[in-house]
Amino acid sequence: MDLLSTLQKRTEQAEVYTIERESTTVSFEANEMKTATTEETQGVALRGVVDGKLGFTAASGQAEVSELVANLLASARYGDEVPIVFPEKTPGAEVETYDPALAQIPMARFVEIGREVVDALRSVDADAKVDVDVERSVGRFTLRNSAGNELSQQLSRFSVQMSLERVRGDDVLMVYDSVHDISLTEDYRQALERLREKVERAKRPARLGSGRMPVLFSPVGAMVLALPIMLAVDGENVQRGVSPLSDRRGEQVFDPKITLWDDPTLPGRPSSGGHDREGVPCRRKALLADGVSEGFLYDLKTAALMDTESTGNGSRSLFSPPSPSPSNLVLGEGTTPLADILGDVERGLLVDHVLGVGQGNPMSGAFSNTLGLAYVIEGGEVVGRVKNVSIAGNIYEDLREVAALSEESYWVYGQIRLPYILLPGLNVVSQG
Amino acid sequence: MNRERILAALDSSRADYTEIRLETRRTTRVVYHGPRLETVSSVVNQGGIVRSLVYDGGWGVSTFNSLDDLDIRVDQAYRSARLVEGDPVTLAEVPSFEDEIEAAPDTDVSQIPLADKKELIEGYNDILLSFSKVVDTQSTYADQFVTMTYANSEGTYIVEERPLVSAHFVATARDGSNVQRAADGLSVPAGYREVLGLEDLARTVGQRAVDLLSAETVVGGVYPVICDPKLAGVFVHEAFGHLSEADFVYANPQAQEMMVLGRRFGRDILNIVDDGSLPGLRGTHPYDDEGVAMGRTELVREGVLVGRLHSRETAAKMGEEVTGNARATSYRYPPIVRMTNTFIEAGDSCFEQMISDIDLGVYACDAIGGQTALENFSFSAGYGHMIRDGQVAELVKDVVLSGNLFATLESIDAVGDDLTFSKLGTCGKGQGGLPVSTGAPHIRIQDVAMGGR
Repeated sequence: MDLLSTLQKRTEQAEVYTIERESTTVSFEANEMKTATTEETQGVALRGVVDGKLGFTAASGQAEVSELVANLLASARYGDEVPIVFPEKTPGAEVETYDPALAQIPMARFVEIGREVVDALRSVDADAKVDVDVERSVGRFTLRNSAGNELSQQLSRFSVQMSLERVRGDDVLMVYDSVHDISLTEDYRQALERLREKVERAKRPARLGSGRMPVLFSPVGAMVLALPIMLAVDGENVQRGVSPLSDRRGEQVFDPKITLWDDPTLPGRPSSGGHDREGVPCRRKALLADGVSEGFLYDLKTAALMDTESTGNGSRSLFSPPSPSPSNLVLGEGTTPLADILGDVERGLLVDHVLGVGQGNPMSGAFSNTLGLAYVIEGGEVVGRVKNVSIAGNIYEDLREVAALSEESYWVYGQIRLPYILLPGLNVVSQG
Repeated sequence: MNRERILAALDSSRADYTEIRLETRRTTRVVYHGPRLETVSSVVNQGGIVRSLVYDGGWGVSTFNSLDDLDIRVDQAYRSARLVEGDPVTLAEVPSFEDEIEAAPDTDVSQIPLADKKELIEGYNDILLSFSKVVDTQSTYADQFVTMTYANSEGTYIVEERPLVSAHFVATARDGSNVQRAADGLSVPAGYREVLGLEDLARTVGQRAVDLLSAETVVGGVYPVICDPKLAGVFVHEAFGHLSEADFVYANPQAQEMMVLGRRFGRDILNIVDDGSLPGLRGTHPYDDEGVAMGRTELVREGVLVGRLHSRETAAKMGEEVTGNARATSYRYPPIVRMTNTFIEAGDSCFEQMISDIDLGVYACDAIGGQTALENFSFSAGYGHMIRDGQVAELVKDVVLSGNLFATLESIDAVGDDLTFSKLGTCGKGQGGLPVSTGAPHIRIQDVAMGGR
């Protein structure tokens, strides 16, 4: 008898989720190809409702059905009392999630790409130590539940992650970038270009005093501002009442230039999809509109607890129950070219990488971080790298006034698309 | 899986060196989030890894969940290894071992009814919730039992049972838009007894979250700082320990210069050690994940760099002794150079001596995060107190220490006599959470930059 039917006999509602995936990764370390890895993944996760209580279990490898079912029933016995309803089948957005061509590409091609990245970055700085991972992953998830929903979704993902490290005496430079797509893409060359610019700019040292000054965040640097927002729109934090936005829906929270949405329908993005991992159709959602708090991201459970609908953001890894997670977050870009924004800064700081993003108390919006990579702006020009600098503030105060957003934007770590953000004044402590 | 099949698969390998590691990991978790019992789940995670080395190629790795086709995985790893065209790799010679390490009988938590585990963590969670301004909690009970089988083509065959039992508390207090968190707990390779009787710890966590609501943010500036053992331990792991991992150094001539043995890093009072053989700590095992015996490695002796941490590969490359520091987070990863239990040895200052001549400073306690970019670091203490006129004064929040590692180590001018090891600690290098322990006495550092407003 199949697993779902077995579960349906013992539960009020049941769900069977499976994943299977084959990935291959080619890794370069310190400019040399170091390893080639293949990874096979298969596993099953079960949820079931017994007496209104939700249970969960999961297994990889050769799990016995009897152990699985026993674990699920034990979990449900003490489970969460939640008015969750597993969804019926509803058509989802038409989005490609799989490129069959990617599966056919020989590993040798990935070796070539890795080599190209190493050579390109060493041509910028001969002393650079370059690490690259080129990964291809193809697989499928399936979902069946007691409401008759049946999904089987093929998935593919191509990623290039690259980092460069250069040590001279006690002077260290580390930069990182990555691209992610469902197909083999040449976007990694844009990432190379971004890294090349960072390394070139970092070659000249510069000095900066402490005080309050204009601070321009690059998209990577702006993660320190974006992370508290990402936490605040997470339905789980809203449901628990710990999100500072939980009771501010409809209020003007930030500068009207700030608009943020989640878009699972973007083509080519590995996080796009027609349905989420609970079988709910995905759709584009506004989270901040002209600085006003507009909405939050929910999965089935947080939505049920908040007496609202899932936004189709149920995300899961094999060994954890689903939880809300963004697909592709986009902070809408501005209308000013970056060159013009820079040109207007008489003296300030360009933040290109912030150390320790997420440490401290990011939910509160507060940040106080050392900068991994930052440059001095003088007379509208980036004049050189400054070290031993830290910034401090709170996004709920400091994003109430944004001087400008650039028309240029790019994906940061495959998670969120951000423009350059200029804040008119922020506290900077410099020891350099 | 039986020994014959594993040995037969190793025999079938065409590579110069092959190792197989198989794991079955049973984990039970009970989690309260606020008043809500959020998760009670037991999961079974089973899988394995084959790692092959071809001397004129490189490393090939195959990881898997299906254990049926071990010969195919061995061949896949070999073919991957052939594809690599890197620098030739050799492995330091080590003795081979056959050993079976059984967990102590009292670590068999499967005998404890789930109802008891639930009741235990519910009790702790109720303590957190009893503070009126605590709006959210996360109270987690977890136990894990890993059976690991390691075999390599040089004749080593090790089976080790690795138990772990954990209780962890997070309290979030809120007053309007002021949101503060406090956390503590323990996670140790021991039995159920270890997580009993933690009521005082839960109370401390709840109280601190509430107290932080009325604490001021530390005023930014440069201060003399006393770090408590928890923060000092995390600091030595993050800021110094990672630099003494040989995989960072060996491929990089500039880093070799920076981390040259014999370089002075601090004053004579500074001694730093990594020791994977200390009983009962999170980073302790008889063997690392290459089957090399773990032991004590001195890193800094009287302020001078005297050692570093190695895998078989890095030891061969640098012509130094193996140290047994090749560790893997799970079967999804090949072993890389990792710390075990890393600590600053006890000195001879007492806390009262350290604090007595500080007019204005910060007593920084606990660590809730840290990041380093080699020479630069940034650490968030869980909380802190101002030091005024030689006394511990008011509670302060958002205590973030930052600076340059070399300058900071040189500025350690007092080392306490109260070495304490952490019962929590997870290292995230490369592969995510690996249990480690950190340790230190109280230490005093002159001239630390502190963020703030």
